Amino acid sequence: MRPNDRSYLKSHEWCKIENGIATIGITDFAVSHLSDLVFLDLPNKGSNVTIGESFGEIESVKAVSDLYSPVSGEIIEVNKDLTDNLEWLSSDPFAKAWMLKIKVTSLSQELQNAAAYEGNCVEG
Amino acid sequence: MYLRVLDDGARPPAENMAIDEALLRGGGLPSLRLYGWQPHAVSLGYFQKVDDFADLPIDTVIVRRSTGGGAIHHGDEITFALTLDANLLPKDLDQSYVLLHDAVRAALSDLGVHCTRQTTGAACGARPDVRWCFATAGRHDLVDAHGRKLVGSAQRRLRNEHARVLHHGSIVLHKPALTPFVAAIADQIEVHANRTKLRGQMVLRIAAALNLTPQPGTLSDQEHATATHLIAARFGDPSFRNAR
Repeated sequence: MRPNDRSYLKSHEWCKIENGIATIGITDFAVSHLSDLVFLDLPNKGSNVTIGESFGEIESVKAVSDLYSPVSGEIIEVNKDLTDNLEWLSSDPFAKAWMLKIKVTSLSQELQNAAAYEGNCVEG
Repeated sequence: MYLRVLDDGARPPAENMAIDEALLRGGGLPSLRLYGWQPHAVSLGYFQKVDDFADLPIDTVIVRRSTGGGAIHHGDEITFALTLDANLLPKDLDQSYVLLHDAVRAALSDLGVHCTRQTTGAACGARPDVRWCFATAGRHDLVDAHGRKLVGSAQRRLRNEHARVLHHGSIVLHKPALTPFVAAIADQIEVHANRTKLRGQMVLRIAAALNLTPQPGTLSDQEHATATHLIAARFGDPSFRNAR
């Protein structure tokens, strides 16, 4: 079971909200399926993100994938260290490998709790 | 379910990339597009730095792909773009490459071209020390008897509520001028007599691997419109090509 102090999108982003600030990242399941990550592109502090729209891109050696925002709002902090330390996504996806902190104006209706999100992580 | 087959001619680089992106984002039926390049061009992997290619001849046409990996000099080749819902491919990224590359290998074998799929080694990525896609062969790549890469490929994946995949691949017919180290179909068989047959076998083998029925088709008006927009806004825009 993934941490139950946060919520999840079916596209495998996680979102933890504290005092109106959302910290977002991607789950261990997403990381394991991307495998061999080589590039991460994140937006700049001060720009805005929109629910359901791409906020960045990640490249594994065999696929480029979009990252989708579970919230709308202004980016107040970017984990720039992560782009040079992509191994954190494998070793600590729910803490050290956070990607953005966002001052939230609205939340996606598609967010699921940890238990419901597990249903999206069935291998098949 | 049908596999729409778009047996295209040679188009300008930005148009080729825009059509593939329109097919990816359009969300329609699975499509397999086979095409060429006029003029010949270098496509950069999505994350590659254009400055790393400053040594190319001044008249080199460069376009940025939406798929990753290393750069490719597209000369006389068959390029294929498979666009489909992600659930029509194995969930596992590696297994999706195995499925598609085995289909391409079978198509090549049908014409007497021998190659094998590498099952070990790191997959190739767009790292600064490997700027050309075909410079090194890694896991899943199709290689000739000398270990030289014969088919290069990369994917773009949309993981939102309508998860889609664009799988780009290049089959080199004759060695391109900028990357003469690659393997080519012409090393093994006469190309001119087999060009059309290879395209046909590609369609049959990929459709069979996906359990789909191939059917010739054309772009929809909406796909045309999206591609036209993407040429102006993205793939034909120097700021996109030079963005990294």
